[in-house]
Amino acid sequence: MGKSSKDKRDLYYRKAKEQGYRARSAFKLLQLNDEFHFLDDPSLKRVVDLCAAPGSWSQVLSRKLFQDERATADRKIVAVDLQTMSPIDHVTTLQADITHPRTLARILELFGDQKADFVCSDGAPDVTGLHDLDEYVQQQLIMSALQLAACILKPGGTFVAKIFRGRDIDMLYSQMGYLFDRVTCAKPRSSRGTSLEAFIVCQQYNPPSGWQPRLDLDQSVQEFFQGCFRGSDSPDVGPWHETPRDIAPFMACGSLDSFDSDATYHGQDLQGDSDVPRRSLDPVQQPTNPPYKQALELKRKGKLTRAV
Amino acid sequence: MEYLAHYGPSLCVKFHGDLVYAANGPFLHCYNYHTGELKRRCRIFHRNKIHGICIGKDGGLLLYGGNSVLIADLQDVNERTCLMEREKSVNGWIISGEFSYSGDQVYLLTSYNKVIICDKFGRFMMNKSLREEKSILYSGSITVYSQDKVYINAGTVMGGILLWDLYAEKMVHNLKGHEGSIFFVTESADGRYVASCSDDRSIRLWDLRTGELLSVGWGHTARIWNLKFFDSGNRIVSVSEDCTCRVWEICQRGNNIDLIQQNIYEVHLTKNVWGVDVDSTGRKVVTTGNDGRIKITNLGDQLGTEEEQKCYTVEEIFDRTNVPLEKGEIIKGFEWFDFGLVAITSTGKIFLLSSTKDSWIYLTKNDKFSSYSITHGVPDENVIVFANNRGDLLLLKFSDDGERIVAKTEYHCSNLSKTTNCLIRKDSSSALLVLLESPNPRDHLVCLKFSLSTLTHLDTYHFTKPANFVSTCIDVHQNFLLIGSRFSTLAVYDLTATASMPYVIRNLNPGDTTTSIKHVEDQGSSSLFSVTNRDGYYNIIKVNLTQDASHRIIHSNKIVRGFLEGADFDDRGDFITFGFKSSLFYVYNETACYEVFSHICGGAHRQWKLSQDSKSYTLVYIKASDIYIKRFKKAATRETLFAGIHGREIRDITVQKHRKFNDGFLFCTASEDTTMKLMHIEPKSGRLTNYWTQRKHVSGLQRCQFINETLMISCSAREELFLWEIDAQAECSRPYMTLRQTLPTSSGNPDLRIMDFDVKFDSKGENFIMATVYSDSAIKLWLYNHKENSFSLILSGHYKTCCLLNVLLEVLRDQLYLITSPTDGHLVYYNISNQIPFKIDVDDNSLTFGDLKLCESELPEFDCKLQVHQSGIKTIDSVMKTNGDLVIFTGGDDNALGITVASVNKSTAKICARVADFQEKAAASTITSCNLICNATKLLTTSVDQTLRLWSVTEEKLVLIDSSYTTIADTGSSDCVSIDESTNLALVGGVGLSVVQLS
Ligand SMILES: C[S@@+](CC[C@H](N)C(=O)[O-])C[C@H]1O[C@@H](n2cnc3c(N)ncnc32)[C@H](O)[C@@H]1O
Repeated sequence: MGKSSKDKRDLYYRKAKEQGYRARSAFKLLQLNDEFHFLDDPSLKRVVDLCAAPGSWSQVLSRKLFQDERATADRKIVAVDLQTMSPIDHVTTLQADITHPRTLARILELFGDQKADFVCSDGAPDVTGLHDLDEYVQQQLIMSALQLAACILKPGGTFVAKIFRGRDIDMLYSQMGYLFDRVTCAKPRSSRGTSLEAFIVCQQYNPPSGWQPRLDLDQSVQEFFQGCFRGSDSPDVGPWHETPRDIAPFMACGSLDSFDSDATYHGQDLQGDSDVPRRSLDPVQQPTNPPYKQALELKRKGKLTRAV
Repeated sequence: MEYLAHYGPSLCVKFHGDLVYAANGPFLHCYNYHTGELKRRCRIFHRNKIHGICIGKDGGLLLYGGNSVLIADLQDVNERTCLMEREKSVNGWIISGEFSYSGDQVYLLTSYNKVIICDKFGRFMMNKSLREEKSILYSGSITVYSQDKVYINAGTVMGGILLWDLYAEKMVHNLKGHEGSIFFVTESADGRYVASCSDDRSIRLWDLRTGELLSVGWGHTARIWNLKFFDSGNRIVSVSEDCTCRVWEICQRGNNIDLIQQNIYEVHLTKNVWGVDVDSTGRKVVTTGNDGRIKITNLGDQLGTEEEQKCYTVEEIFDRTNVPLEKGEIIKGFEWFDFGLVAITSTGKIFLLSSTKDSWIYLTKNDKFSSYSITHGVPDENVIVFANNRGDLLLLKFSDDGERIVAKTEYHCSNLSKTTNCLIRKDSSSALLVLLESPNPRDHLVCLKFSLSTLTHLDTYHFTKPANFVSTCIDVHQNFLLIGSRFSTLAVYDLTATASMPYVIRNLNPGDTTTSIKHVEDQGSSSLFSVTNRDGYYNIIKVNLTQDASHRIIHSNKIVRGFLEGADFDDRGDFITFGFKSSLFYVYNETACYEVFSHICGGAHRQWKLSQDSKSYTLVYIKASDIYIKRFKKAATRETLFAGIHGREIRDITVQKHRKFNDGFLFCTASEDTTMKLMHIEPKSGRLTNYWTQRKHVSGLQRCQFINETLMISCSAREELFLWEIDAQAECSRPYMTLRQTLPTSSGNPDLRIMDFDVKFDSKGENFIMATVYSDSAIKLWLYNHKENSFSLILSGHYKTCCLLNVLLEVLRDQLYLITSPTDGHLVYYNISNQIPFKIDVDDNSLTFGDLKLCESELPEFDCKLQVHQSGIKTIDSVMKTNGDLVIFTGGDDNALGITVASVNKSTAKICARVADFQEKAAASTITSCNLICNATKLLTTSVDQTLRLWSVTEEKLVLIDSSYTTIADTGSSDCVSIDESTNLALVGGVGLSVVQLS
């Protein structure tokens, strides 16, 4: 996604640059933590950051886990994304597709037989504009992240994932309820009110007693969760039925005085704020390499005109 | 709740004989494409949209979408209006489906690259898959060659295309080369090629046998969503996010195979074309898009074959007629007739082209018309008029076949020493009016009248020319002559009272040259004319031509882009515009918003003429001194089976509840696509008629609201707020809408949004005060003075720095309150009584403004502030109780619905507010709109979870009484209107529009 001038006026964007974060998303994780304190737990040691590029969540995690340089034994951060990521201290990065079971196997290998305390995913697929498909793909991304979480989380561990609150979000809430004791829908103030984005915060990992998570490279995520959720062991083709749905409690995160991501701030507002430098800022994120680069190039040269 | 109709994204479409089957959310629609008639409408799925349609050889019908599938017969759709009970659920998202070779089995490719095979009754038979290739797919297709040869093409996110053999469960090829996710892949039926497209915006053609890349097609400016081989696998049609449909030819030159872009059609509104199919003759393409439009494009008629386009060089014309060509001689003017073309050269030679014989004839030479001539014609009378700059006219009338000249007149107008302009028009009595203008501003305009049958001169009129007037176009209506000029000016003359001064209308719009004037219809003693301006503006003006002439602009708008040369309403009442954009000449259906045709002619600076009859348009133009004749057949069948609505989210809807129009209601939609549409709904069937698409806003809209019988307000970013006037007279064929006033802005910040507004009229219902709230926390109050047509600021201030989402103006116990809801979830009450001088009538709470000395005052401290929601209040509705308390209903981003009761404390005279009810889990997602109905005893809410909920309101408590799933994504707006005692009609908007009846 390109950065419009609107992004540059965004106060979170400026603050990110100020504090050395690669993306404004860092504040989403920080504001979630303000409410849930999952990163303040001193026993937090091993974490997985899925869909991590450009890496601001990994930066937050790295700063939290390694702030005390002495007690860093057996601490670990693994970050995975389709895109390349420039290195971050104490973070092992992996470039791979998290919906591919082989990727999950590689992450498990990195952890050996140790469990993780925290798994997060801020992943978002390319949006097509077909709302139902986009929401489905988003949920599949979450299911892949959850699949890894199921394999790697210690009992009582935490899972946080980006969601889009569309038509089937209540189905996802219900499914999460089978694996975690507490499921909350959290919206940080740094996430725009006009976007459907929110985060599902799942605490107290506690899978059904009869169900054994087992990664099989020839199984899709769906097959993986068969026997875990009620209704998920449905046949390949069967009569139409309603799926269980549940509404998770909502929690707004970040204090009311934090910046409002929907508001318009003017020049004078920014100057009054000592936090924000007045000089112009370099982009926070490195320019990406979009798949349609060649098409843009052709367009620039006037080769994609209407004339045929 | 009962769904009357639904309009929104259509994801797939299929030709079948004379019929077109098109998906519309969970419904299947069936049209006869010759007549445009909607023949069947059948509900297929409970929740899912139909993403794919397959029709089997023996009339079997396979429909799929999401994890739903339905296997039936076409016959079932003919007989039933609902087949939902036969819906089956599949384990996974269905990417593609197909009937087996024998037609008694069905293959379903799911998003994890697994194929489910089931029988005709949807009974599971077996699974097939490719080992260890189970990552998610964005696209795929199934090609059935025989009972046991079936190929699967799976389009992955990172791994290219996996082409595999279904029964062998073996990879045939892994086609790599695209960048990004594969969005479509298909095979030609003869097994020669694979075609694919991806996020990289290219189309790739592969050799199916070898897996070799043959050619890459570039052209689309955004993502491509669908491809289809046709013409025996020799051509491909593609559709894209860029709203175009393109035809590609597979050209074989020696050993090279190339994909060549053949034609581009602009078919849908922003943005996304999803579905495409080609009919069995390969001449018609049908496309469907996010705008819900079903568009038929005729390929055969626009291929540029010999009969369609002709070009003649000057040399060729002289050669063919054996006339010697003089040095530098060029074509100066021409006119197109049924029989062909008549043209004049720069030496005054006149030639005739017979279109049936394709032969040129030399007619005559008239030296008076050498070097300078103006040519006009009356095609339906076979009359052509030549004028020079010395007041000479030559009029010729031809026989119908063009073989003979049946009348001829030469006329000299001695009143003007020099004439630089000549315009002609046929009047109602079948006479011809010729207007001559001299470059001298003091000279009169001379209008000559000729008989159209004999071309004899009948009369001469002299008119005073207004100041700053350069005539550019004319129209005649009854005894009135309307002349358009530069400087966006118009003069109306009475032909029966030539001595009187004209009625002059100036500064009609911000443009310059008036390009056409056309009588539209009459309204009482007034007449309506459409006026176009080259700079893209068009207006409808209402002119009263009786004694005290007066006029009003009742419609104003601007075309999408380019130059506007003219416009007229067609037989169906659609407004058709034409002109130039970059190197193209276009004809556009402004009512339905689609391009009728366009043609690359090199741009606006050239001689050209467009003429039309019932069957075709003919464009004649000169390019590099050659004469081009391009004919476009008008489509014999409908070009749109449904014209569609907005291609993007509808952010607000407002129904004109104060009065009906044409047995239904007018309503307006405000969309993210920056346009507004004025439409009509027929309440029984839910049928929509679109009248106008307004383009005044340049940013995505926030709100729109009718504020009385004729006025409406809309607002958006860039501080845009417009006051519109709607002219809807029962005797007229359609309503009109014009911009009445624009709200002053305070900064140039493009991101500064006016989030909401509310108005209160004075007791006369003329002047009103208006509160506006902004995304930078600003709150402003304005006075609108009806007589002066002006907005003046009377109060302003800020809440904090957060964005404000809603505002209400309410009178509570003789005090005026402004209530706003910021993104922090509070309701904030300001008592503004002391800031503006007004009186409140205690009987009806109406306002009388005092002598408002328009001082700008400061917003006072708020009276009261109460947190109701955790985060932003997205929607608000209110009702005054008989005891004078105000009940406010709020829906939030926190999924909750609240009731707040506000009253004025008698002793402190301050507002006291309390939350009377709070439903925490009122929806699974943001609540985006709420409407009180049935005298505030019921509340309808919409949420992005795509569920409409109906609540009863009793004793300040909410109880859910009904809920219904809607197929509209981004459900964001609604408005209700009561149609009788017990029935309400709800219009629900988002990505699409639903009409729901609530009884
Ligand atoms: C919003 S960004 C994440 C930002 C990140 N949390 C940060 O703070 O810098 C979403 C990321 O999801 C990644 N993504 C989407 N689909 C993926 C997949 N299937 N596997 C891995 N990463 C994926 C995208 O490449 C993108 O970088």
